[in-house]
Amino acid sequence: MSVVALSELLGATVRDATGTVRGRVREIAVAPQDHPTRVAYLIVKTPGGERALPADDVKSCGGTVRTVTESGQWSAYVPSDGVLLLKRDLLDQQIIDVHGRKVVRVNDVEIESTPTNGHLLLNVVAVDVGARGAIRRLSKGVVPSFTLRLLLEKIPPRVIPWQFVDLLETDPARRVKLKIAYEGLAGLHPADIADIVEDLPAAEREAVFETIDEEVAAETLEELDPDVKVSIVESLDKDRAADIVEEMDPDAAADLLGDLAEEHSGEILKEMEPKERREVTQLLEFGEHTAAGRMTTEFIAVPENGVVDDAIEALKTFEGGREALATIYLTGPAQKLSGAVPLVKIAISSPAIGLSQLSEPYIACAPDTPQNEVAALFDKYNLITLAVVDEHGRLAGIITADDVITMLRHRD
Amino acid sequence: MSLLHKGLRHRLTLFLAVLGPGFITASVDQDAPGIFTYSQAGAQFGYALLWTMIPISVSLIVVQEMAARMGAVTGKGLSDLIREEFGFRITFFLMIALVVTNFGNVVAEFAGVASSLELFGASRYVVVPAAAFIVWVIAVRGTYDSIEKIFLTASAFYVSYVIAGLLAQPDWKAAAFATVTRPSATGIRSYSYVYMVVALVGTTIAPWMQFYLQASVVEKGVTVRQYWASRWDVVLGCLFAVVIAWFIIVACAATLYTNGIHNITSATDAAQALRPLAGDYAYLLFAAGLFNASLFAASILPISTAYAVCEGLGFESGLDKKFHEAPVFYWLYTLLIVAGAGVLLIPDLPLVYISVLSQVANGVVLPFVLIFMLMLTNDRELMGAYTNSRRFNVIAWATVIVMILLTIVMMVRRG
Repeated sequence: MSVVALSELLGATVRDATGTVRGRVREIAVAPQDHPTRVAYLIVKTPGGERALPADDVKSCGGTVRTVTESGQWSAYVPSDGVLLLKRDLLDQQIIDVHGRKVVRVNDVEIESTPTNGHLLLNVVAVDVGARGAIRRLSKGVVPSFTLRLLLEKIPPRVIPWQFVDLLETDPARRVKLKIAYEGLAGLHPADIADIVEDLPAAEREAVFETIDEEVAAETLEELDPDVKVSIVESLDKDRAADIVEEMDPDAAADLLGDLAEEHSGEILKEMEPKERREVTQLLEFGEHTAAGRMTTEFIAVPENGVVDDAIEALKTFEGGREALATIYLTGPAQKLSGAVPLVKIAISSPAIGLSQLSEPYIACAPDTPQNEVAALFDKYNLITLAVVDEHGRLAGIITADDVITMLRHRD
Repeated sequence: MSLLHKGLRHRLTLFLAVLGPGFITASVDQDAPGIFTYSQAGAQFGYALLWTMIPISVSLIVVQEMAARMGAVTGKGLSDLIREEFGFRITFFLMIALVVTNFGNVVAEFAGVASSLELFGASRYVVVPAAAFIVWVIAVRGTYDSIEKIFLTASAFYVSYVIAGLLAQPDWKAAAFATVTRPSATGIRSYSYVYMVVALVGTTIAPWMQFYLQASVVEKGVTVRQYWASRWDVVLGCLFAVVIAWFIIVACAATLYTNGIHNITSATDAAQALRPLAGDYAYLLFAAGLFNASLFAASILPISTAYAVCEGLGFESGLDKKFHEAPVFYWLYTLLIVAGAGVLLIPDLPLVYISVLSQVANGVVLPFVLIFMLMLTNDRELMGAYTNSRRFNVIAWATVIVMILLTIVMMVRRG
């Protein structure tokens, strides 16, 4: 078992079973639908045109590739969308390093060759993003290959194992054929995904957002820089955009739609489910820089005559963001806000205790309170959540501390 | 509000949002060596070289438009595209050449800062380190938006050359006429005339501009949908730059040439020679304009070089990264400033020689960059529907070939 670099294989002379030189290696193809890492064939440039040399026919490889078959048996190469061409699609291109959580450029590709039954199994094992690959490619054909190998061994490798590589492909049809699903990327924290996405060109960003799970996409979108956010959503098709926006917190969704050009936000709203659309439209009607513009309408409110168990039931069925859970609000007749119970008290009290007994004085503000005053209230009363109450005393929504931090950080 | 009115306002807002990269790049182009060349052209030949302004505008627009279009369509920088399409080895050598060339330019810009402020009696041993510090801070502390505002303001100061031109009281009719007439056949036979034409073209189109413009179009997030606005930004920026050049030539022609001062050796020379002829205000405006232009260009060159090199070669880059995350980027950036400014503190430095050398380096690198750009903008897989049209290609290739020929002529004659 040994490792050979893609840049060594490219341009290597190919000798067939008779020992005659038949051509040079031009490309190496992997067919992800058959096997995720296995080299399917080598494209060999021969005087008679390009041939697809099946990888199973390769006996040895390196500076010279030897085969067990004769060149007459190699079929003509027919270009296909369904294979990954290592030189064209990978070498010198950007990829996502899922483990290192960043976008990197590929200097070389490492292929492992394992002798099996008289031929070689070639597998892509890693991409080289460090000095070793760079120097190998610079010195290729200039420094004798033996000296070069000795020299390169002295350079510490910087490689990314293949399972941590997510390829960037902007053509949706080809993404399906090549089985690119951004599973690795989607497994990261949304804040890390957002950092990576911000480093990508527009078309590649769009590709990521077309592919990853809607929920992850929604969370990632919330973490992105406002300009980037807008340009991504405007580039997606309306159905997809609506699906993602539905998954966002209503306040974040309203902020986002407020930033979009009217034609885009209107079309997205039209595609949304009625319930989510109603929540978001309500929020959109308030000014962005007021309490109502910053609040979320997903909160927990329980009748004031309930007991701790009722609150726990409400917690179990709550679908909103975790940050909204810090306080359970109590409502009286006509949905009027009458009290607030911190989550901690629920946790340490026995199930049958009446919630009104646990209630604490609460702080509330009107929907049109400017955001600066909202921040001042959080500061003064050390709040985690703040209730927003309409003119009838009803709880309209809540603002959470993380909204305030975002608001303060984006204030120029 | 009528729909038409609304549509117009919408487009205007969009245009203003996209305005910046093209305008800034073209302005920075009128840097210290540029101002010197225009002054020299005016002093030596009067209005006779004004005809070059129209062909120069066309070539400048054609080249810059390609860079901006590539940025908007691909969302990638020029060095990224060269790396992806032409491989590591070519990119590596091109980046080395770019660093060397741009280093020469950085030195020339700091020299412009030093000599313009020396006119006001400031010592270069104070001015150059201070300028280097300002340049470093602008890029490291600023965001793209704030830097763009500073730069757009700096662009506005170029108007000082227009005022200096007005103060010089030129013969407007003769100047306007010279701009639109064909060059005289006798002039072309003279060596110094051809040399000056070459220098004018050479100082206007430089390799770094293409990398900078494309990168800032990308950074600004301009996409294909807003590209029409970006194109206007480029065209207006180029026209603005050429108008400034025109006024510098006219100012020097009306004063220096008319009074028999045909040979100047630097832009500060031109400013000093203007003083007795056009008055103190023209002199001050000329000197202040030179300072503004040099500092402006010195702020852009090191950072844009660091970005281009790191992106092309795959090093981490970006001011949002910490030093240890992007060491090559920060080292390259800092070294270009420190060494570029430091060189000027060496006593008895042959500044003229260095400035010539930096222009020669520009000339050597430029043809390669232009050819890569043409190949990239004609690549259908990359540009989709936005490849060059046939007519555009004719103009672009003609520009490239003329640029290459001129550069060869210039270097052969210089060597």
